Amino acid sequence: MTSPATFYDVFRQQGISRRSFNKFCSLTAASLGLSPAFASEIAHAMETKRRTPVIWLNGLECTCCSESFIRSGHPLVSDVVLSMLSLDYSHVLMAAAGHQAEAALEETRREHAGEYILAVEGNPPLNEDGMFCIVGGRPFIEQLQEMAAGAKAVVAWGSCASNGCVQAAKPNPTQATPIHKVIKDKPIIKVPGCPPIAEVMTGVLTYMLTFDRIPPLDRLGRPKMFYGQRIHDKCYRRPHFDAGQFAEAWDDENSRKGYCLYKMGCRGPTTYNACSTVRWNDGVSFPIQSGHGCIGCSEENFWDNGPFYERLASVHTPLGVESNADKIGVATVGVIGAGIVAHAAASALQRARNPDNAAKTGAGE
Amino acid sequence: MTIQTPNGFSLDNSGQRIVVDPVTRIEGHLRIEVNIDESNIIRNAVSTGTMWRGLEVILKGRDPRDAWAFTQRICGVCTGTHALTSVRAVEDALAIQIPENANIIRNIMQLTLQVHDHLVHFYHLHALDWVDVVSALSADPRATSELAQSISDWPKSSPGYFRDLQTRLTKFVESGQLGLFRNGYWGHAAYKLPPEANLMAVAHYLEALDFQKEITKIHTVFGGKNPHPNWLVGGVPCPINVSDTGAVGAINIERLNLVKQIIDQSRVFVEQVYLPDLMAIASFYKDWTYGGGLSSMNVMSYGDIPEYANDYSAANLLLPRGAIINGNLNEVHEVDLRDSEEIQEFVSHSWYSYADEDIGLHPWDGVTEPNFELGKNAKGTKTRIDQIDEEAKYSWIKSPRWKGHAMEVGPLARYIIGYAQNNPEFKEPVEKLLTDLDLPVTALFSTLGRTAARGLECVWAAEKLQYFYGRLIDNIRAGDTATANTERWDPSSWPKDVKGVGFTEAPRGALGHWVHIKDTRIENYQAVVPTTWNAGPRDGQGNIGAYEAALLDTPVDNAEQPLEILRTIHSFDPCLACSTH
Amino acid sequence: MASTSESSKKSQGLLHSLVSHATEVESPATKVYVYETPVRLWHWVNALCIVLLCVTGYLIAAPPPSVPGEASFSFLFGNIRLIHFAAGEVLALALLYRVIWAFIGNSHAHQIFLPPVWSIKWWGEVWHEVRWYLFLVKVPKKYVGHNPLAQLAMFGIFVLPLFVSVFTGLALNAEGEGIESLWYQAFGWVFALLGDSFTVHTIHHISMWVIIVFSMIHIYVAVREDIMSRQSLVSTMISGWRYFKDDKE
Ligand code: HEM
Ligand code: HEM
Ligand code: NFV
Ligand code: SF4
Ligand code: SF4
Ligand code: F3S
Ligand SMILES: [Mg+2]
Repeated sequence: MTSPATFYDVFRQQGISRRSFNKFCSLTAASLGLSPAFASEIAHAMETKRRTPVIWLNGLECTCCSESFIRSGHPLVSDVVLSMLSLDYSHVLMAAAGHQAEAALEETRREHAGEYILAVEGNPPLNEDGMFCIVGGRPFIEQLQEMAAGAKAVVAWGSCASNGCVQAAKPNPTQATPIHKVIKDKPIIKVPGCPPIAEVMTGVLTYMLTFDRIPPLDRLGRPKMFYGQRIHDKCYRRPHFDAGQFAEAWDDENSRKGYCLYKMGCRGPTTYNACSTVRWNDGVSFPIQSGHGCIGCSEENFWDNGPFYERLASVHTPLGVESNADKIGVATVGVIGAGIVAHAAASALQRARNPDNAAKTGAGE
Repeated sequence: MTIQTPNGFSLDNSGQRIVVDPVTRIEGHLRIEVNIDESNIIRNAVSTGTMWRGLEVILKGRDPRDAWAFTQRICGVCTGTHALTSVRAVEDALAIQIPENANIIRNIMQLTLQVHDHLVHFYHLHALDWVDVVSALSADPRATSELAQSISDWPKSSPGYFRDLQTRLTKFVESGQLGLFRNGYWGHAAYKLPPEANLMAVAHYLEALDFQKEITKIHTVFGGKNPHPNWLVGGVPCPINVSDTGAVGAINIERLNLVKQIIDQSRVFVEQVYLPDLMAIASFYKDWTYGGGLSSMNVMSYGDIPEYANDYSAANLLLPRGAIINGNLNEVHEVDLRDSEEIQEFVSHSWYSYADEDIGLHPWDGVTEPNFELGKNAKGTKTRIDQIDEEAKYSWIKSPRWKGHAMEVGPLARYIIGYAQNNPEFKEPVEKLLTDLDLPVTALFSTLGRTAARGLECVWAAEKLQYFYGRLIDNIRAGDTATANTERWDPSSWPKDVKGVGFTEAPRGALGHWVHIKDTRIENYQAVVPTTWNAGPRDGQGNIGAYEAALLDTPVDNAEQPLEILRTIHSFDPCLACSTH
Repeated sequence: MASTSESSKKSQGLLHSLVSHATEVESPATKVYVYETPVRLWHWVNALCIVLLCVTGYLIAAPPPSVPGEASFSFLFGNIRLIHFAAGEVLALALLYRVIWAFIGNSHAHQIFLPPVWSIKWWGEVWHEVRWYLFLVKVPKKYVGHNPLAQLAMFGIFVLPLFVSVFTGLALNAEGEGIESLWYQAFGWVFALLGDSFTVHTIHHISMWVIIVFSMIHIYVAVREDIMSRQSLVSTMISGWRYFKDDKE
């Protein structure tokens, strides 16, 4: 076996000049929101490092996270998998299958113990002994725990791994469980979103590879650099929100003018993600720019906070009638109001009939 | 023991059992088991879907206007097709008519998915079954260049280009970190391409990887993101404003130009890279004729791509609609998704329970109730399965049947039906392909036929993208900018108790969603998905499904490296998250 | 001679307040000093803030029809939110001040914060009041401060939801200030307790309706009692003195 290739070696192998290598480093710095001074740090890191093995596991999910990942425009995903890291296991892309595929897991676990990054797409179901998701004849949860044990760090891709996502929406028939609830002893970087933005995904990985550390995380374990602000905080429609200019119906005059989508149920004010800044697919657009409100896809519980087109979540009242806080509020106010009128009438009646008795009352309120 | 299935296959599970689990380069979790006889021929095949999430259960009680978002998460690979099927089902139930522009934009979204999904499938999920990456290291770059130039006008074909790539690849392999290519069946005797063809294919594997992300930007323009763009019951969410103040916040001329550019580039890529590669690779595998399975007998398509809005009759659908049974190409049957006797799902071999498992349920009356149990002949334990017992329940996939028949769906089914209907859009390219490769029509009914049909369809879809782009421009020019009908947006305007069905032709085949809406909420929701049709287990009668049928009678060169199984299974483009949902 | 008494002005301390009951009186003086100036002041500031908060809060969730013109020309919705936040901060500070006063003020000052729910006798009195309001009891008991039912209502459907409103409101405000802000460090824990931001909005919103319902009942009962009973109610919240109109010599 020849000496291990570094990022830079691999760049050279691709016939990339020193100059464009440096340019790549400064672009990387810029795309990570870092000052140009970091470019040399990145360059240094890339020149000296062996490619970090990445094991990518799939549990209960829809594979949109893998699909999103391969949409990365900067860096290009072909460069990521050939030059920046060593994707040693991925159901979606790997050549090997069956026991040869499982052998790759074993090998990485043995040869790179404590060095590899475990990237998890999807989550383990806990009901039925985990048999709602079977890999190699065994429940996915076992594979997950085995691979987590030897990992240096764990990346939770998407809302499935981070929050449970759609299969964990009520009544969560399989008891699909976000991975931080089953992996307790490893640092977990949550990259929520359904799916997360491609450049955010590659950004998080390259951050760890180039700086050799975990990005600073927020209270929920999400990288602050991408999840520190709400969609609403950087939404380009925000001036319309502040002015009080809203789309009132689909395809009305106001939506054609690009007014704020708040009244159409936009969850931007309660959603932490980078869509309004990084945007999607190389910066082409993001949900709001294309006329649909944010549905809050990077937030915990977002599936159960519907309907997506109403500002208020619908709640199941004991009577089984669908409702929301305002409807219940107005109804209660109506009932109480009627009660008050009736009570006032009864009081007046009683007072008229029996002025003497009333005189004795004295309950201080 | 040899058994004869009612649908005409003979199964023998006495030989050596081979297990492939996980099947990779697919979406989701699939397990395949086969028995091979002493000549290494597959005599029994068992397809097991090994994941279930319960979306149909989760959808109950929700707002039907949200259903598209839930069902879209059935799959991130065929992203959008479930959402489209869902809004169609809800619109059908509530009798909502959508504007012409909405229909056009939806078609553009759906065709974009077809182009993208087929391209990614061919290069990234399927190609390594035919292409030996390691062999590419010994190719002559000059000869590779000549080969590339002889089959296509694609400009990236100089000797220097291939030399650089080869150097990169060599260093990559020498680094000892093979990453994705680790433990592949490199050097397997079933690989037939010369090193030059392998090198060219690897180059296009990487080019396609970089290019596929461009195609999806069409979804991003209209739906805000990909995967999982946004949809809307009643139309599409993106308004059109090309001339007035505020246009920058909507579909405007800049956005349209972007879409046009991507459509044009996609067409070039598909015609100059994908199709020539497909032909070149196929020409080396002409004698690998296995994997036909059900395709020569029972195929079905619901049809899709309504040319004009709100008309879902066969005459208005650009993709063919109909069913062929018992291999009779002279008769294409009408398919009625509303008829309770036509489409039914059975669970006798699936990990679900019905009150009466001898009967099938039409999706409007469908039930999804998990029931995991292994048969008594299964080997291993509950949580360590060594061998499946296919006599018992053995898959998370249900068994859908059309009038009792197991059907194959997908691009090949669509092309066979289009061919049988003498539709020139489908028949002519098939005939050209067969002539160019010098193959008989029967060659279609095979693993390669499936792979070829997908390539032809990709070309067709890219062309149709241009057509619908033109239609969109015409409409806007004529002053029609409507994108949504909101008459029935408010749930208070809905009937109390209604049912609807929506369908599409997803990349992998016929997809239907059946919804029952009661008191403005989802009472029942059932999806019957292409991979459910193809990968489903046996039914109570013993009819086997398309995957199992296609694997039979295939020789396996090396039981330790069952490349042949991967080839045939991959030719269906499996999507397990879809199949079980 | 009209007898005049004053409820103890001395600080009662936390321990005392823990066992404090509503003060039922057999034969009260004609005039009692019940609500000290800080309580009265708080009451009216609080009432004003709540009216503002309910109006602006409702509009935040269901904004008025769009305004014409360029966005940069108008700040209508921004101002609605601004009034809400300002009133919210005043209300929060006033509540803090009221809580402090509960420790310092007279025995009535902490009644609404600490109903003696552990006391069986007290529940009996609550039941008595319920029957009184349902016209099932002919002769009411007399209380100097809040009657037990009122005390329970004030605690359950006013004080608690008010705290919920305030903490969720401050947490939502902290999100606007940003997760790096001091605000967020002070109130971000609310999200850890209650869940995602959307859920916190929902809870904040629901608490508004609870407070509205309380206010309706409260105002009705205050006015009704003022008319029906022979003791002062509304003026008590203005002057601090409760007059018992019948208990003359
Ligand atoms: C009686 C007290 C209060 C009432 C009735 C009230 C009512 C409301 C209502 C109904 C909403 C709309 C919630 C939604 O559906 O999104 C709201 C939002 C809000 N309130 Fe309050 N609120 C109260 C106190 C406070 C306080 C003390 C603060 C803190 C300063 C506060 C800060 C906020 C904030 C930051 C929002 C979110 C505004 C936005 O998202 O634009 N509120 N309030
Ligand atoms: C948003 C509206 C209001 C709220 C939230 C509110 C709340 C309160 C609270 C919490 C108390 C107990 C004070 C304490 O013991 O510290 C109280 C007492 C009182 N409030 Fe209000 N109040 C409101 C409006 C009004 C109005 C409009 C009136 C007059 C019509 C009124 C009349 C009174 C009276 C008379 C008392 C004293 C009752 C007694 O003597 O036991 N309140 N109120
Ligand atoms: N099977 C399937 Fe799908 C497709 N095509 C959808 O309906 O893949 Ni994810
Ligand atoms: S997070 Fe969303 S996009 Fe990613 S796998 Fe889960 S359902 Fe799919
Ligand atoms: S569109 Fe959504 S995120 Fe943007 S300003 Fe309006 S509410 Fe906020
Ligand atoms: S729905 Fe998701 S994609 Fe972004 S704008 Fe909202 S977080
Ligand atoms: Mg189904």
